[in-house]
Amino acid sequence: MTNHPYLRAYLAGVLFPTLVFPLLLTALVLNLLAYGQPFPVERIMVFPLAFAPACWGLWNVLWLASRNRTHLPLGLHGAILPFLLMPLATVLAKRLGVISLGAHSVTWFQAIQVPYAVIACAFTFALVMYYLVWKYIIGFVNRVLGIA
Amino acid sequence: MNHDDRIKELLKQALPPVESGAEPERNLWPAVLRRLDEDTTLQRRTASFFVPWFDWALLGGLAVFAVSFPAMIPVFLYYL
Repeated sequence: MTNHPYLRAYLAGVLFPTLVFPLLLTALVLNLLAYGQPFPVERIMVFPLAFAPACWGLWNVLWLASRNRTHLPLGLHGAILPFLLMPLATVLAKRLGVISLGAHSVTWFQAIQVPYAVIACAFTFALVMYYLVWKYIIGFVNRVLGIA
Repeated sequence: MNHDDRIKELLKQALPPVESGAEPERNLWPAVLRRLDEDTTLQRRTASFFVPWFDWALLGGLAVFAVSFPAMIPVFLYYL
């Protein structure tokens, strides 16, 4: 399998967020049906549906293209992605009204209020999550598709 | 007829004589190499991977965080 390695890398990167997206959508719809909370579902979906999978795919392509020079392990390469994605997602979410910034906390989806101190801690765990997902899941898909 | 001669005789009966100069119709070596390469590639792809203790610790920390702050789970999914 030596043809189109970048295409295979893109597909390998896209797989995981594409699988997770229905979970988020289901959770939001169930919440909407169960509690009747007026979530702006169509606004929330813009980032996970349009941007995130493409970014994951392109990030995996970038890893494939640069690994001979950088020798960066896939897990660490993936852990860099939140530094790019999270500001982008936050700016987009703010413009679409998905989050509102308060003096001491941030409110997501007009329902989940999180203090800034917890957000700092959560970012660290987000890096951990990205590291593990990229190392094991994307790494596995890359091996299956003959990239790594 | 001693024991060695008897074995020789039996072997000659069991194995037909190879014709002199007999060779396969085509070179089999590339096929052998290809097969070996396929086997090692398949092994490499399907090999069960080893998870170091550090990654288990990270996973545990992530689980503790998710349990401690369950409201962050949809936020994490959103940023995924």
